[in-house]
Amino acid sequence: MDLGFKGKVALLTGAGSQIGFGKAIALLLAREGCDAVAITDINLDYAKLTAEAVKALGCKSLAVKADVTDKDQVQGMVKKVVDEYGKIDILVNVAGAILGGGPLEEQKQDLWDREIGLNLYGTMITSQAVLPYMHKQGSGVIVNIGSGSTRMYSHGVSTYAMAKGAVDTFTKQMAIAEAKNNIRVNCVAPGPSPTNFIKAPNKQTVIDMLAKQIPMGRGATPDDIANATVFFASDVSGYVTGQVLHVSGGSVLD
Amino acid sequence: MDLGLKGKTALVTGAGSQIGFGKATALLLAKEGCEAVAVTDVNLEDAEKTAGAIRKLGCKSIAVKADITSPAEVASMVKKVIAEYGKIHILCNVAGGIIHKDNIPIDEQDPAVWEKQLKLNLVGTMNVSRAVVPTMRAQKYGVIVNIGSGSTHQYAMGVGTYAMSKYAIDLFTKQLAFVEGKSGIRVNCVAPGPAPTNFGAILREDMPDPPTEEMKKMRAAMLGSFPLGRMGTAADIANATVLLASDVTSYITGQVIHVSGGSVI
Repeated sequence: MDLGFKGKVALLTGAGSQIGFGKAIALLLAREGCDAVAITDINLDYAKLTAEAVKALGCKSLAVKADVTDKDQVQGMVKKVVDEYGKIDILVNVAGAILGGGPLEEQKQDLWDREIGLNLYGTMITSQAVLPYMHKQGSGVIVNIGSGSTRMYSHGVSTYAMAKGAVDTFTKQMAIAEAKNNIRVNCVAPGPSPTNFIKAPNKQTVIDMLAKQIPMGRGATPDDIANATVFFASDVSGYVTGQVLHVSGGSVLD
Repeated sequence: MDLGLKGKTALVTGAGSQIGFGKATALLLAKEGCEAVAVTDVNLEDAEKTAGAIRKLGCKSIAVKADITSPAEVASMVKKVIAEYGKIHILCNVAGGIIHKDNIPIDEQDPAVWEKQLKLNLVGTMNVSRAVVPTMRAQKYGVIVNIGSGSTHQYAMGVGTYAMSKYAIDLFTKQLAFVEGKSGIRVNCVAPGPAPTNFGAILREDMPDPPTEEMKKMRAAMLGSFPLGRMGTAADIANATVLLASDVTSYITGQVIHVSGGSVI
């Protein structure tokens, strides 16, 4: 199936991790024919590794450092990408992290602020910086990364899950607000996967333990998430907007 | 993107309509490399037309008549497909109909029509799935895509048994996905918004009957209501259905995806 990416320019946040969703998505966008895939991360060295891997596929790439919670840095980063490639057709908001947890009475408010700042505001700040360019070109696609944790209540009161729940709502509100500008906004909500979000040294052991509760009997892979993200990013889903798609092997059904 | 459909056998119900989602889905499955796409419909002549169009694309196809509300007809239809192709990897439950119109006050509704409506859309989908699941379980592989409806979330349209039958399909999707996950069977649902098919006759340029003033007004109101500014097409629905039918989505199960231009969020 031709996903119609020829000539398209994509920007991915949080694509530095070499075992994360961002890199897998960047490589798939490159393989499927994007003209350029720009990479940003708070860690420039890691972003460069991903950019090199994108270039090795014959696709243009550029690594730019940005902390998505810092509006000035994000606007500078977006400007740099547009200066280089002239436009941004696709924005994939991957940057995020799990910072806290535990019983509510032991949680610190500054951690709540940081967790919401990174996962929710980071997504909003990057979208805000890219929108004017999408408006100017009369089209655009935004894919946010949500989380299955928004519906897995047994994991406890986690600010991460709440921030991601807000990303779902942000997705829907942006989809309606920007539909008339020909901008689609969707969200991919991954189930547990052996990325840096799992803190234990042996990530796969944790996933295998969790997998016992998953109807399909396994955790998510970065490729599972990349496939769904690239579907939303492509014109093949040209009539889909405001949707949250759970890629979690049946862990989240409602 | 290679969807990995090479060597796969699909069965599409309700694929007779020449302007419907079933035919568009069947043709896309064929174009994307399925080895065989069997089609079934209550109207055999229409199903034959679709099968002919599939074969023109170089993909095997047979047309089998079946009324999905009859477990016996469904069982024999599925048996025929398996006798022909030896397996069924993909089932697309497209067959359905709007018998009971929305926008009728409940006291004017006929309970006999409720039963017919639920039987066609919900029980029909269950019948076909029930007949195909044992084969999929034996293969340790199967994908079912049900066609739901945006009407499940558009309450302004009124108390519609059609919407309720489709909402029940959402739940059927989730429950079957949960139960059969470990058998290697994925079950998902594509929920279309209004489109110019036999279901959305009011949106068609070639509306069968001359439209009344009220219909014209309703058409204009509907066309103005889509956030993305256009109605859906059969191709929009086929794209989502074929993606969910492919291994590209091999970790997605129990999900309902609305393809409705932002009408349902």
